[in-house]
Amino acid sequence: MGDLGSLIDGFGTALQPISLLYALIGVTLGTAVGVLPGIGPAMTVALLLPVTYRLEPTGAFIMFAGIYYGGMYGGSTTSILLNTPGESASIITALEGNKMAKAGRGAAALTTAAIGSFVAGTIATVGLTLVAPTLADLAVRLGPQDYVALTVVALLTVSALLGSSVSRGLASLAIGLLCGLVGTDTLTGQQRFTLGLPVLADGIDVVTFAVGVFAVGEALWIASRIRHGPVQVMPVGGRWMSRADLSRSWRPWLRGSALGFPIGAMPAGGAEIPTFMSYALEKRLSRHKEEFGHGAIEGVAGPEAANNASAAGVLVPLLTLGLPTSATAAVLIAAFQGYGIRPGPLLFQNEGTLVWALIASLYIGNLFLLVLNLPLVGMWVKLLQIPRPYLYAGILLFAVLGGYSLNGISTDLWVLLAIGILGYAMRRFGYPIAPAVIGLILGPIAEEQLRRALAISQGNPAILITSPFAGTVYLLLAAAAVATVLLRRRSRRTGRAADAVDVPTPRGTVDDQVT
Amino acid sequence: MTELPARSAAAGKARIPVPELLMALGVAALGVLTLLGATTITVPLSANVVGPRVFPYAVGTALVGAGVAVVVALVHGRLGQPEGGEDLDLTARADWSTVGKILAGFVAHILLVDRLGWALAGALLFAVIAWALGASWWKATIIGVVLGLVIQAAFVSGLGVTLPAGLLDRVDLLNG
Repeated sequence: MGDLGSLIDGFGTALQPISLLYALIGVTLGTAVGVLPGIGPAMTVALLLPVTYRLEPTGAFIMFAGIYYGGMYGGSTTSILLNTPGESASIITALEGNKMAKAGRGAAALTTAAIGSFVAGTIATVGLTLVAPTLADLAVRLGPQDYVALTVVALLTVSALLGSSVSRGLASLAIGLLCGLVGTDTLTGQQRFTLGLPVLADGIDVVTFAVGVFAVGEALWIASRIRHGPVQVMPVGGRWMSRADLSRSWRPWLRGSALGFPIGAMPAGGAEIPTFMSYALEKRLSRHKEEFGHGAIEGVAGPEAANNASAAGVLVPLLTLGLPTSATAAVLIAAFQGYGIRPGPLLFQNEGTLVWALIASLYIGNLFLLVLNLPLVGMWVKLLQIPRPYLYAGILLFAVLGGYSLNGISTDLWVLLAIGILGYAMRRFGYPIAPAVIGLILGPIAEEQLRRALAISQGNPAILITSPFAGTVYLLLAAAAVATVLLRRRSRRTGRAADAVDVPTPRGTVDDQVT
Repeated sequence: MTELPARSAAAGKARIPVPELLMALGVAALGVLTLLGATTITVPLSANVVGPRVFPYAVGTALVGAGVAVVVALVHGRLGQPEGGEDLDLTARADWSTVGKILAGFVAHILLVDRLGWALAGALLFAVIAWALGASWWKATIIGVVLGLVIQAAFVSGLGVTLPAGLLDRVDLLNG
């Protein structure tokens, strides 16, 4: 198949020394920032964007691939050693992994998470390589009405089905959509909702929004209720991995990958459902059921693999349809747009070199992470011990750096501050953050496609559901709604079973992934 | 859909926390403003049925609907669950003096960044925040100055990002 040639070309680009250096810097920075407590992958990518502003696109995206995987990876170290899942998809890792660390088996937990992430990341990247070009070919044939259907799916599932409170999820989504309306209407050239402020004439930048709502909002929220006193970091104890650990881990790795990639790749995906499913599955299949809740290695291996596989899966709708299904993906889209590149079906045709270099560097970054991380775990432990005043001051310093350097004007910082205060309020009152970020980036896409579809049909709204693809999508959405409710009940039961044996406090509500 | 049962049981119908109610009403009010704002958008004659107003109307309606839904949830005692975390003490009362200091530091940074330069304004921001959160002020200042200078030098000279040099504009390393 022709794609193999493109992939080899991609490796040709990604294996050049300078590309390898970018990948290495990316995975190192991504892990270092991702490992910091309270920083999930979306914030990692948003905070590190300024690093790539002046790179040429291929180099920038190779670095991004590294930051993205590195951020995912760093999060699992944090949840094992600190019991602070930086995102909801790591809750399960924290559940069993932290218990293992407490029992003096921290090294084994880190190893199974690391190798599991590598195995799952590689399998899922192979999946991405195989699926994405085919899907892009199909996606070229989709009309605007079909895109409307896909955006509806992405928006609704992200805000309503994954949240712990549907009404607050929808409120968060609507706030994001409103922020997406601000700026100049592309079709009529007039300003909407800019309040007459020149700084808003170009709209609210996704990067400013993400940095504001994640970094500034988080810092304000922590500052208002900071816990004083020393930080408890688990020691990395025990053997790295025994033969028994390996034989208990490899099946969960594979099963976790098999769950994570397809679910992550759906327009309605996400990383959280597959991790919960993987945990439930491993618990049922394990011969050591009694260990679950006390540090079962299968309970780290499976969910961690599912988490990483879904991270690669999320790239499928992102690259082929231009649809972000996680907050991290929304920030990545913003990064693409910064280079004037629009992810979507034409990406593989128009920017083939770049995309294939990106995909190739995912393989390479994954390998780097495996090689780098286990020996360097002592360094990550040190990062976890940074005194909190300096940690949050540093996060805000990088936030204003990102806010300023985007356009080089200080007025943007007022917008950043305002969004930060919004982020504080949303955390305080339990509104999930991710739907707002996704709404901000999907809103303008949805509006444009809707107006285009209705222009084609000369105003007849029937076009929105009569296309076979769109009709099928709406039917599937209804089916998925039912299925998700059932799955949630199951995963909640798993969660409750774990509750019975002294669970760590999951960070925030389940929907508040990817902070 | 799944607000914590324990909290909803504890919070009877009588006690709806005012700030939370205000947030929900604020969402709804934002929706009303969006709907009003949408009526002022000019629709060109050439536009087809779906002009520049339709999507704002939909968003405004969604805001009003979601805001009202949260109010209804609150009335039924289903409170929002504040985001938890390892560094948080959710039992404590909000510490407004710390938040106030941080906001003041942030505003000072915005006002001064073009005059002082990014490195010094960044050092100020870092020092104020670390001090507000409990670090000793002189240590925070030293670390802040070092970080500010190193970051600016790295981004300007190493990565080619433009940042204002301000007072230090004679230093080549900081002035791209």
